[in-house]
Amino acid sequence: MRPLGAVLTLTGISRYKNNKLMQISCDDIALALVGAETPIFAALNFNLKGPGFHALFGPSGVGKTTLARLLIGQMRPDSGGIRIDGCPRRLYAYNLERLPGWSSVGRHLEKITPASQRPRCAELAAAFGIEPVLGQRFARLSLGQKNRVNLIRYLVQDFELLIMDESLANVDERTRGRIITTIKTLFPDRFFLYISHNAIEVARFCRQVLVLRGAHREPQALTVPGLDGNGEAAPPPAMEKALLTIMNAI
Amino acid sequence: MLARRIYQFLIVYAVGLALLLGLKYLAGLSDYVIPGPPLIWQTFHEVYGRYTADTLNTFSVAVFGQVISIGLATGIGILGRQATWFGNFVKVAAYNVQAYPIVALAPIIFILLGDGFITRLVIAAMICYFPLLLVVLGVMGEPVTEIEHFYRITGRMRWQLEVKIRAFENLHKLTTVVAGSATLAMAGTIVAEFIAANAGIGYSIRIALYQSDLGKILIALFLIGICLSVYQALLEWAGAQVHRRWETIDGGAA
Repeated sequence: MRPLGAVLTLTGISRYKNNKLMQISCDDIALALVGAETPIFAALNFNLKGPGFHALFGPSGVGKTTLARLLIGQMRPDSGGIRIDGCPRRLYAYNLERLPGWSSVGRHLEKITPASQRPRCAELAAAFGIEPVLGQRFARLSLGQKNRVNLIRYLVQDFELLIMDESLANVDERTRGRIITTIKTLFPDRFFLYISHNAIEVARFCRQVLVLRGAHREPQALTVPGLDGNGEAAPPPAMEKALLTIMNAI
Repeated sequence: MLARRIYQFLIVYAVGLALLLGLKYLAGLSDYVIPGPPLIWQTFHEVYGRYTADTLNTFSVAVFGQVISIGLATGIGILGRQATWFGNFVKVAAYNVQAYPIVALAPIIFILLGDGFITRLVIAAMICYFPLLLVVLGVMGEPVTEIEHFYRITGRMRWQLEVKIRAFENLHKLTTVVAGSATLAMAGTIVAEFIAANAGIGYSIRIALYQSDLGKILIALFLIGICLSVYQALLEWAGAQVHRRWETIDGGAA
C-alpha cells in the first residue's frame, strides 16, 4: 500500500509523509572495529537523497556491510553523525539469511505477510520466479532461490528504507534485472540501498551510486550518478560513461 | 536402533566378563573372589526375578528424576539465555554450582530427607540436571543470527519464537544429551541407593558387596545395562520422531 503522503517532485528530490525529505546523511563518521589495526572509516561524509533505487558499491572489505549496520542502528560510530530523514522504518536484508526449517517457504511467507500485502506477495513470488518452490523447505532451495525468497519477505513489510546487502547474489543476470525492474516499478516511493559488486548492474539500474573507497582515501566516499534504467537496454556510450565514472571513483 | 544398543552392550559386558574370568584363571583366584561361569549362572537363576524388580524400581525413579531435570534445565536455560544481568547471573551460578560434585552433597540430602523415594529422586535429578543445563544454556544462549535477524528487525521476535528457533536448530544436540543423561539419571539413582536407600538395585548391590558376592553384582550390572540400553534406544527413537515430525509438519509460529 503506497503511503498517502508520498509525492515525487521538487527537483528530483522526493518529499515523504508530512512533507519530510527522504535522505541519508553521514557527517564525519569515524569507526574502528575492535582488534583492527586501521579504522574502517576515518572521516566518512556523504548525502543520498531518496526515494529510488540506489547502490552502495566498493571493493570487498571496504566497509559496505558495516555502513549498512550503522545506518540501521545495529552499530554506533566512534564519532560523527548519521541522519536519516523520512525513513522511520528501516530494514536490512542480507544474503546469508535463512528461514526457519519447520515450515515450507509458502507457509512462512503467508505467516509473515500482513493481510493487506498478500496480493503483493503473490505478485512478487510470480515476478521473482519462486512460485514453483513455495511448497518446498528453504533448505532444499538453490542459493539464488533462497535469496529471492528472503528478499520477498522484506518487500512485503512496512518500510521506507530497505538496505539490500547482496540480496541478489547467486541469481542469474537476466532474473536479477527483472527483479530490480519489478522493485523499481512496484515501490517507486521507497528508498532502496543496494549493496552489490556488479558495476554494470549498479550503473544500469541505480539512480545514485555511493562508492566507498577505503579509510585511506580522501574523500572516503563519492556519489556518482547511475543510469536509473528500467530494464531497457542502455545506450552503449551512456553505459560506458557511467561505468567509467564508477570505476574511476574507486 | 534397539538391537544395535543391546548388542553393543552385550559385547562390552562379554569383554568385561571375559577379562574377569581371564584374571581369575591366570591368577588362580578362588570362586569366592571371582565366581566361575557355573556359579554365575546359578546365581542368575537365584536372583534374576528379584533383581529385575529392583532394577525396574530404580529405573522408574531414574526416569522420573530425568523428567524433572529436563523440565528444570529447560526453564533455567530459557531464563539464562538472555544477554542481561539476570541471564548472565543464571549462567554463572549454573556453571559454578555444577562444579560441585552432587554425590558429595548426597549425605546432607539423606540427613534432611531420610532414605526414601524422595531422596533417590532428588539425587537422580540433580546428577543428570547439570549436564543437561549446560547444554540447554549453551543452545539457548547462542543466537541463530541468520534466522533471527528478520524477526528482530521487523519487530516480530517473541521469546517463544526465539526458543523455538534455537531448539529447532539444535534439536540433534538436545535429543542426544537427553538420551545421554538417561545414563546419568540411572547412575544417580543407583549411587543414592548404594549410599543409604532401602530399595532398588543399588541397595541390592550394597548388600551383595557386604556378602562379597561378585556373582550377584555381575547379574545386577547385566540387568542395569540391558535396562539402560532399551531406555536409551527408546529416547533416541523418540528424538528421531520429533525431528522427523518438525521437518515434515507444515506449520508453526512463523
